[in-house]
Amino acid sequence: MSDTTVTPTKTITVQGLLQSTGIGLALFLLIVFFSLSSEHFLTSGNISNILTQITINLILGVGMTFVILIGGIDLSVGSVLAFSSVVAGKVMTMTGLGDGTVIVFAVMAGLGTGMLCGLMNGAISAWWGLPSFIITLGMLNIARGGALHVAEARTIYSFPYAFEEFGSISFFGIPILFLLALLLVLLAWLILNFTVFGRMVYGIGNNEEAVRLAGHNVFRYKVGAFAICGTCAGLGALAYMARLNIASPIAGIAFELDAIAAVIIGGTSLAGGRGSVIGTLMGAFIIGVLANGLILMGLNDFMRQMITGLVIIVAVIVDYYRAKYANV
Amino acid sequence: MQSVTQLIPDLLCVSDLKKHFGGVKALDGVDLNVRQGEVHALVGENGAGKSTLIKVLTGIHMPTDGQISFAGKPFDAGSPHASKDVGIQVVHQEFNLLEHLSIAENISIEDLPTSRWGLLNRTEMRSRAVVAIAAVGLDGVNVNRPVSSLGIAHRQLIEIARSLQSDSKLLILDEPTATLTEREKVKLFKIIQNVKEQGVSVLFVSHHLDEVFQICDRVTVFRNGKTVITQDIDQTSPSEVVSHMVGRHVDHTDASAAQAVPFGPIALRTKELKTIANRSEQGVSIAVQSGEILGIAGLVGAGRTEFLRAIFAADKSNGGTVYIKEKQVKFRGPRDAIDAGIGFVTEDRKDEGLILQMPISMNISMVNLKKLFRTGLIRHFAEHHQAVKYGDNLQMKYGKTADAAASLSGGNQQKIVLAKWLASKPAVLLLDEPTRGVDVGAKFEIYGILRALAAEGVAMIVVSSELPELMTLSDRIAVMADHKISGVLTRSEYSEERILQLAYGQTVEQRVAQ
Repeated sequence: MSDTTVTPTKTITVQGLLQSTGIGLALFLLIVFFSLSSEHFLTSGNISNILTQITINLILGVGMTFVILIGGIDLSVGSVLAFSSVVAGKVMTMTGLGDGTVIVFAVMAGLGTGMLCGLMNGAISAWWGLPSFIITLGMLNIARGGALHVAEARTIYSFPYAFEEFGSISFFGIPILFLLALLLVLLAWLILNFTVFGRMVYGIGNNEEAVRLAGHNVFRYKVGAFAICGTCAGLGALAYMARLNIASPIAGIAFELDAIAAVIIGGTSLAGGRGSVIGTLMGAFIIGVLANGLILMGLNDFMRQMITGLVIIVAVIVDYYRAKYANV
Repeated sequence: MQSVTQLIPDLLCVSDLKKHFGGVKALDGVDLNVRQGEVHALVGENGAGKSTLIKVLTGIHMPTDGQISFAGKPFDAGSPHASKDVGIQVVHQEFNLLEHLSIAENISIEDLPTSRWGLLNRTEMRSRAVVAIAAVGLDGVNVNRPVSSLGIAHRQLIEIARSLQSDSKLLILDEPTATLTEREKVKLFKIIQNVKEQGVSVLFVSHHLDEVFQICDRVTVFRNGKTVITQDIDQTSPSEVVSHMVGRHVDHTDASAAQAVPFGPIALRTKELKTIANRSEQGVSIAVQSGEILGIAGLVGAGRTEFLRAIFAADKSNGGTVYIKEKQVKFRGPRDAIDAGIGFVTEDRKDEGLILQMPISMNISMVNLKKLFRTGLIRHFAEHHQAVKYGDNLQMKYGKTADAAASLSGGNQQKIVLAKWLASKPAVLLLDEPTRGVDVGAKFEIYGILRALAAEGVAMIVVSSELPELMTLSDRIAVMADHKISGVLTRSEYSEERILQLAYGQTVEQRVAQ
């Protein structure tokens, strides 16, 4: 073999630029477009509004990113959100305990319910090697039924004052719930890029057998990804309660679809193994900005929904070309 | 003779073809001319550009620069359809079969026969398939069987049968014999001879020079993305071709040098280990010492891969015991085997060995990740460092450690797999076909690496279908037939004939009786 060493060359290409900044660029252009077409768009009130609107989708999207990266999908997060919220709501409206205690228990109950549902999704689909699409479709019904049962099909309200107050805090117009969601994104990013667990999430999505033969417990990592997704649904439930001051068994219908859309628009491959949680952040922003901006422009909600659908399809087509140029 | 060949224009003319991937020049100006009705060999080391050329010819890659003409017309390799339309058929190194469909459906998939109403004509499809697979010597195989039920060698033959279906002018065979046994190879060569007599040109890409010299008319050698030379087979010799390939003289004695240090204690022993596919009663009992390389020979289906997988607990075993350093062990899965100091270089790089889309550095740290980062937190710099270290040790040719493993050639990919296991510092290394799809130069480099490991005291079990490889590399060769050890040969007893006799199940006693 000859001694030619391949020197790494740094060339900036249009393709490379699109790959690294693609979604961010799209978001930026969208913001510029809406700013020019409506004077109300870039007002602090409206921005605060957008951030509030995307918070729950962002939280669910973060969890969904883990599941999609391992090559799975979780259709149950909307129902699990409702289930977690009514369980937490029941705990929070218990009488006879101090406000502080009740809030702590309720938060634990909400997160716990979500995590448990996620664990079940993951354990069942990973143990028997069944498609998570079907298992989580089952969970979608179980959790929704569970929510209706626990809440006796009624809305739960009148939470402790401190909890309701917390949900309305904002710093310079930025809602605290959004800041917490942002913190979650950061945490997820750190986990995916700097922990062994995160590495395995990518590895399993690409080549499960290679990961297994390298001596890693694939089952455990898969269940972990689903558990994170479920816990995020629990977190979404708490954000929902803090914002609206109710817990409802019919909350979160079709939320899973928005979460999946955020992940896919963010450039994570539905086949698994490729993508990032930063992309999901961008994806959630694009959906939120689009919804807000189109309505400010005077389009009705039906038109908005059609355009959002179109964006999802375009995102997948863009992703197709990205994958094609990335894999030569 | 000379004048005749000049009258008929060459079927395929490739001139000064270039294909660059970023900074890597996979093809850096190659020339290739294939005549009508000849069998033309294309040889070269890993990364020499053979696969890239095929991908350009079949429309998978767009060339960066250069001209191609086919049958006298300029050829614009735009899409796989375009090349199929002009009559270029490829049998790829990686299979392109639809596993869950039947043999018949796979054979006809490009042009399914339909009845008057546009429905699938199954009778016609089956009879076509019967003819097609008979042509590759698979007569008697039920064409309704799904491809997933076939062994790897038979799949290869099905793939060849399929490409012979369509009217092709140029048949490209990319490493067609890698998975075939001797008997099937002979069949394949007959098929190639027939095809040639019908005026079809064959481009034969192979690492096996003996095959090239057996069936080819001319040979073109690639090195580092350039054409070195095109020669008539009868005017050259294997050693000359090898020296063109590597650009220097290869010293065959390097790897077969006698053992430098005496063997250590027994590192691994199996006692009557029965695999899931085992048909025999007694299982496999072998022992390998530290610093020793034990080769395992045998035909496809003799149970060699299954045996390695059973040791490593990649599959469940069907009874029997494994001893590490003479202590009985019970592995529940690969993790336990790795913890006990075993490494396993699997047969299939693409599906089991590598995560192709992941960077080289991440692939190398795949096994020792948890040891490298005990806190569970990854430091990318340390990971990069490890990759550079093993890359240097194994003379890996790569761009950046952050490049995807898929961007490297077969031989360099295999070095990533080796590096991954070496990083876990194994005491016993199991290797299944360690040089499959790897060219001569890189092959000898890998032999050198394995020899050096042996000198450091690593015990190795090497499964290989290439007898010369086993005979160069191994200190002892155990031959398997039908899931049993049919004989163990020491270095002085090596001969291809002897190994093959054992592989075909003739034990020593039987031969004595004859």
